[in-house]
Amino acid sequence: MDVTKPLLHQSSSDSRLMRRLLTSLVVVTIYWWAVQGTNTSLTHILEGIPFMAGYIKRMFPPDLSIINRLLVGAAETIQIAIMGTTLGALVALPLSFLAARNVMSVRVVYQATRSLFDVCRAVNEIVWALLFVAMVGLGPFPGVLALAVHLVGALGRYFSEAIETANPEVIKAIVATGASRTLVVVHGILSEIKPLIVGYVLYYFEHSVRAATILGLVGAGGIGFELITSIRLFKSQEVLTTLIVMMLMVVAVDRISAHVRNRIVQVEAIE
Amino acid sequence: MDAIHIRNLSHQYDGRVDRALKNINLDIRASAVTILLGASGSGKSTFLRSINRLIEPEEGQIVINNQDILACGTHEVEEIRQSIGMIFQQFNLVERDTVLKNVLNGRLSYVRTLPGIFSRFSSEDYDIAYDCLRRVSLIEYAHYRSGSLSGGQKQRVAIARALAQCPRIILADEPVSSLDPKLMRETMDLLQTICQEENITLVASLHFLELARLYATHMVGMRDGEIVFDDVPDELTDGELIKIYGETRDWHLYGKLGY
Repeated sequence: MDVTKPLLHQSSSDSRLMRRLLTSLVVVTIYWWAVQGTNTSLTHILEGIPFMAGYIKRMFPPDLSIINRLLVGAAETIQIAIMGTTLGALVALPLSFLAARNVMSVRVVYQATRSLFDVCRAVNEIVWALLFVAMVGLGPFPGVLALAVHLVGALGRYFSEAIETANPEVIKAIVATGASRTLVVVHGILSEIKPLIVGYVLYYFEHSVRAATILGLVGAGGIGFELITSIRLFKSQEVLTTLIVMMLMVVAVDRISAHVRNRIVQVEAIE
Repeated sequence: MDAIHIRNLSHQYDGRVDRALKNINLDIRASAVTILLGASGSGKSTFLRSINRLIEPEEGQIVINNQDILACGTHEVEEIRQSIGMIFQQFNLVERDTVLKNVLNGRLSYVRTLPGIFSRFSSEDYDIAYDCLRRVSLIEYAHYRSGSLSGGQKQRVAIARALAQCPRIILADEPVSSLDPKLMRETMDLLQTICQEENITLVASLHFLELARLYATHMVGMRDGEIVFDDVPDELTDGELIKIYGETRDWHLYGKLGY
């Protein structure tokens, strides 16, 4: 401790040079470690260009004969996202009250719920999907479960933070009416933060559609299954068609959902 | 007859050295208008909020209807709160909700939990809410968003919400401190009229002496968590005022002219 003090106050050029050298050494070491671990090299990239160009050339023209199959897959992806988001939000909402400091005064419960959210959120959807496929088998349902579990963590955290923003004086006014604890929570807190909650759910629905496009890669349903099949069979023209449908779907869902969210915000502002 | 008996009431906030309320003894008369005076921080708010246990006082007794509310369990406290309306300086409405919904919130203690969660109020609740809105002359604003109203209108919604509880007592914590002088008069007039008509005991804290004199049947002065005056308004002499507020050159700011 005593050693750092003079070092910080003394702005001698010697010590500054030392610190710079040390910083550079650390940065160089990190990059050396990352590059040698991934075989990243300029020659690799240059050598790869003709192969990449060849693959892209073979993708054209896109194979439109599989469009019906793709639309079914895309629809399933959206269905998975709808169910996953709904299920996740329904579980997250009641739990989020246990993770809000202004509602839950028992520290242990509050901490435990927060930790549960952290665990759900820390594990990626695709990893949850792998686990659920192993548990309940192939198909869209493990995909729904994977999204739902991840969203319990993500939405639960945002919901509980929204609950904590509720005005404590307004809550006191509802308490003063003699309302029971449950009704205080519903009418003093929930009605204040309703638009925030709707906004988060729609935002995470968009996120879920994007996440659901790849769930098929591990056998959890949706358009991702079509993509991985075409890639494995080297049907490059099908790959391109699939990518186009995926992109159009994601863009369309984003647009519609963003429009609905804006409408909600606007209605709030006008009223 | 007395509506509220307070005995040896003391409270200390966590982490504070001095007590916010120091051994308070007071009888508040039924159907009267008791005005609390005192500088900011003198304990008026803490005192009012102890009466319906928005704050849990450390010790003492508050007896209403032969029941010591500080000794009550959660359910009994909720029952007692039903009969005590409360009005706040900042109105404390749910701004996103309509005026009507805010007034219906005053009926929450009358609905059962499950219908209450889904805002299924009875037709009687609606009748009472509409009636209360008529009493505060806001019936045509029933379906407006509360946040869109002016300060004076918001406080009238808050009065309607308190009235919807069908209370025996109304506690008003600086009810007019965020309003302009004209609205102060109108709001206090309304509160006085309603309390007279419904035979409600009113306990309000105010900062303006002239306003206090207009409405008070009884005055209570607080200083540093203690009651230093407890009498009819006529007994509030200059000497007593100094006991409450200390020496100041700015009496005109309190509405005490010609000092």
